[in-house]
Order: sequence, then C-alpha cells, then structure tokens
Amino acid sequence: MRAALALVFGLSLAAQDFSQRGFLELRTAVFPQTAPNDRGRAVASALLRYEATYRISSGWRVAGGLDARTDTHHQTERRWGLSWQDRERQRPAFAVRRASVAWERPGVTLELGKQFIRWGKADILNPTDRFAPRDFLAVVDNEFLAVTAARVSVGAHGDTVEMVWAPRLTPSRVPLLNQRWAALPQWSQVREEAPRWPGGGQFGARWNHVGSGWEASLTFYEGYNHLPSFEVRPVSAEFPVRIEARRFYPKLRMWGADAAVPLGPVTLKGETAWFGAPARQTDEYVLYVVQAERQAGEWVFVGGYAGEAVTRWRAVPGFAPDRGLTEAFLGRASYTIDANRSVAAEGAVRRNGDGLWLKLEYSQALGQHWRATAAFTLIRGAPTDFLGQYRRNSHATLTLRYSF
Amino acid sequence: MSKAATLLLAASLFAQDARQIVEEAQRRSRADSERYEGTLEVIDARGRKSLKRWVYRRLGSHGNSKAIIRFTEPAEVRGVALLILNHPERASDQWMWTPATQRERRIALQDRSTRFFGTDFSFEDLEERDVNQYDYRLLGEETIEGAACWKIESRPRKTRASQYTHSILWIRKENYTFARIENYVREELVRRANYREVHNVQGIWTPRLIEMQDLRRNSRTILRLEKLEYNVPMKESDFTLQALRREF
Repeated sequence: MRAALALVFGLSLAAQDFSQRGFLELRTAVFPQTAPNDRGRAVASALLRYEATYRISSGWRVAGGLDARTDTHHQTERRWGLSWQDRERQRPAFAVRRASVAWERPGVTLELGKQFIRWGKADILNPTDRFAPRDFLAVVDNEFLAVTAARVSVGAHGDTVEMVWAPRLTPSRVPLLNQRWAALPQWSQVREEAPRWPGGGQFGARWNHVGSGWEASLTFYEGYNHLPSFEVRPVSAEFPVRIEARRFYPKLRMWGADAAVPLGPVTLKGETAWFGAPARQTDEYVLYVVQAERQAGEWVFVGGYAGEAVTRWRAVPGFAPDRGLTEAFLGRASYTIDANRSVAAEGAVRRNGDGLWLKLEYSQALGQHWRATAAFTLIRGAPTDFLGQYRRNSHATLTLRYSF
Repeated sequence: MSKAATLLLAASLFAQDARQIVEEAQRRSRADSERYEGTLEVIDARGRKSLKRWVYRRLGSHGNSKAIIRFTEPAEVRGVALLILNHPERASDQWMWTPATQRERRIALQDRSTRFFGTDFSFEDLEERDVNQYDYRLLGEETIEGAACWKIESRPRKTRASQYTHSILWIRKENYTFARIENYVREELVRRANYREVHNVQGIWTPRLIEMQDLRRNSRTILRLEKLEYNVPMKESDFTLQALRREF
C-alpha cells in the first residue's frame, strides 16, 4: 500500500511520517426470538476497513480511511459507488470513512474534511457530543460516523478553544423499518417518505481547561439534531393502521459543560447540556450524567447515573437513544485476564425498572493479528420503554477480526 | 564532638553522597530530547509471550519533560498513545488516546499503579523521575551482574504521590547508569527493573534493554530500545492533547 501511495503521489513515504492500519471483521449475530417485522434469527456481516495518515511536511498532515462491507440481512446497500455523505438509509457498501487535511502550527491546528469530532468526558452517554452521529442500525451495537467540517483548535497554557463549522448535517443512521430494531407497534404499517434534510450548517465551540489534576469544558452548539424526529400522518384507520412518516432533523441549540475531578479513591466525571428548540418544533430539555471511575489492578470500573429534565414538552415522536438512556443507572466493568484475554460487562437499568440492557463480552487475541470476541446482550423491559421496546432483540454475537 | 553528633554528621554525609550519586547519574543522562523504537516482549506467569512495539519521543529532561509513547504493534492497538507531562514539583499529568473511541482519557493519579496496556510497566513507571522528588540514603555497595554498584534507597517526598513507599536503586560505579531498581509497597517487593546492555549513544551511556518484573503476577516485560537517538529536533507542539489525536 505504501508503495502504491508513493506511485500515486510521487512521494517518498518516510516510515515515521506514514502510518496505516486496518482490519477485516467477520461478525455473526444470533437472535433467539423473532420480531413482528423481522423473522430473521441470524445476521452475518463483513467489514474491511483501511486507514492511513501521512505527514506531508512539518505543518501539513493528511488522513484517510475507507470502509467496504456487506451482510446477509440487507443492512448494507447492494450497489457500487463510493459514499461520502453518510445519508443513505442503509449502510453504503463502500464509504469514505475519513478524509481530511490538517495544518498545524504551534498552538493552532486547522483540520478540513471528513473527520471525527468527539466532545465530552463521560462514558456510555455524552450529552455534549454534538458532532458525533452514529450508525444505529443495530441500536445497542452502534458505531460513530465522521462529519464533514472545518475545525480550528487554539491552545495555550492548559486552555484550548475549539471551533467547528459543518456546512451540512451528517445524520445518525436509524433502524430500518423492515428490521427488528425499528420495533414498530403491531397495529401499524409504516411507510417512510423521503426525509426532509436541513439546508443550513452547524456551528460549535468548546473551551477546555486542563488544570492541575482536573479538567473542565464549556460547550455551545447551534445547528440541527443528528437524531431525527418524525412527521407522522395516519393514512387509514383500518387495522393495521397505515401511517406515513417523514424524518426531519429539528433545529437545536445546546449549552453544555463537563468536568473530571480525581477525588482520592475515584475520578468523578460529570457532563450536562441544555437543549433548546429554536424552531419550537421539539422538546426542550436538560440531560446530565454523573459517574465515578476507578482502575484497580486489572479492573476498570465506571458507574453512574444519567438523568433528564424536560423544560418544555412538545411531544413530537423521534428516535432518541440519548434520551432513552436517561433516568437510568449506567455501568461498565472490565477485567484484563492476561496480555491476550479480557472480559467486560456494561449495561443500563432504568430507574423505574422498565428497561434493562446488559452486555457481557469475552475477548481473546489469537497471535499477533487475530482476535475473537464473543458477546451476549440481554434486553428486557416494558414495550413503552426505550430499552424495553427491544425486549425481543437479546442476542449473541461472535466476531473474528484480522488486524493489519 | 560527641559520639551522637559524629553519627549525625556521618549520616548526613552519607545522605549527601547518595543524592550526589543520583544527581550525577541524572546529569550524565541529560539530553534535550530522545527518540527510540521499543520492542516489548511480555511473558506471563505461564511463559506465554506476546509482542508489542511502541515509538517513544521525549522533549526536555528530568522533571520538566514531555513524552509521547505511541504503539505501532500489534496492529489492533496501533495508534494507541500516552502523553506524559512531567512536572518538577509534582506527579506528572497523563492522558491516553484510544483511536477506536476517538477519545483521550486522563489517567488519574490513583490509577497510575495499574499496568500500562498489558505490559508489566505501570503508568507511574513510565514517568521520568526527577532527583529532587525523592530523599536518598546510601545503603552500601553491591555487585549486580558483574558490575560494581552503589546501593541507594529512595523515598518519595510528600509532594509526590507514588504507589511505591520506597525503592532500592543500584547505580553502576563505572558509568553512573542504573543496574537495577526494586520498588516496594510497604515491605513487599512488587516490581523489579533490570537495566542491561549498556552502550554509549552519542556520549550518553544508556541501557538498551530493560526487564521489568511484576512479582505479584510473576510476569515480566523485556523492553529493547532500538534506533535510539538523543538531541533529535522536536517541537513543543508535538506534545499536546491535539498532537496526541493526530494519528488515526
């Protein structure tokens, strides 16, 4: 690959300026129960990912990544073509995962292009992480998507100001209507119309202070929610009720803050954000997370509580896993058995007991390149609960990954 | 002069000697920057081996330095990196960058005793030890692997939080390089580092092999320093949180 890049760009790629990595992942998920809208019990998928970075000169760096994937359940499109936008309903078979160029000077970094931007300090749920849409096709096994943006970071003496402008929204990918993660009511038959995409850009700013042993940030975001709301229109009242739904991405204004403070036995982390609806289309609310974190020997523990307070209720249907994980106790624990093996558990329990998500995972490296991971995810709860609606989707997965 | 006063003076002179030895060891290893490619062989209690590689870069020296360790092998952890900002008056600040989550995580002081990414080095072992953060006492002289050494006890001062209550250092008389460090938690020996294959690199005598043993787990990690260079041009801006995120 290095030789190929050198041929294409006519460059002499010095080893310390060029780095690359990738993997081929084969994954099988088995569901003991079928769902009303999905009789399938198994999904097999394959993903080939390649990423590289190259430092052109002392001030310039490029980064790129490509994904190629397929699966047995039509979660991936069956057509050729390279996707940049990540606006497809299904996962694209071939996608630019990342493509950006960065200009660096002492204290200043400017990055343009498709890139990952992660804000916030909490684990499992990050209310301030507004430039981080995800692929939620399998809701509890999700993956971040990059956004196309310009980002400038200016830092000095422990203070960093980051400003981001994204010309167009990269939405989160939501569950497919004909598959189990859509969890539609049995009395309905939903037809989805073309989504209404927002026309404007998004802006965000974050000030982060690193103190002696503590960190804190303030965050502002003005743009659109990457999680959709729905315009819903009943077409017929006969059983099953036919409904037409259209995704739209409401305007969103967010003020947020986060902090991490080591307190002797544990590190305390907190993150909160207020979400306003400038177009008055959707709810206005506050999300917050408080968590404690500790490493002890081979153990890592993270535990906390996520809450929500609605300040203005507008009752518009939407897909909101961030709010769905609130009013809940969240936790994660992992144990490193040895250099090659580890076990982990993570989960969420709704405060009212209406929803439970628990994932147990065992992972083992096989030599220098292979890793096998077996996991079981248990989901229980009431049909009216965000987690509980997926109660028929408990599943086991086996993943085999070859890293290169 | 009374006998007690003589004893006090002797103890004081011994203490001064121990500090002078460590100061001289620090002075002789001083470099504006350092870069090497490390090969780590991790051998667990059952004798099973795993191989890792990292690139280490350091700017500055002893107590005021900045360092980045970035894994290059195995492929699945390539890009994982640790940023260490050492301070003369207190424990270092450390952040770990994990490309898979695109997040950096601050390593809290109370978490520094845990192993660094499956090796037998703890996060604290990767810090640079400044001579002024410890008190020293000369315990005598011993031969380690054929080399005559000073045997010195070091105890962290109150300003420095450490998992270790004290350490025993063996410093080679011939070239003032470390031959061995044993780290104790109360009276229990928990980690032992042996420093071998001493070479003169650009005028600085440097052990090119470090064997770290975790005596609680009965495992060890052998770190070989390859392509070692001192005083390589480096920039301050390459040792920031932004720089940590640059690769992947």
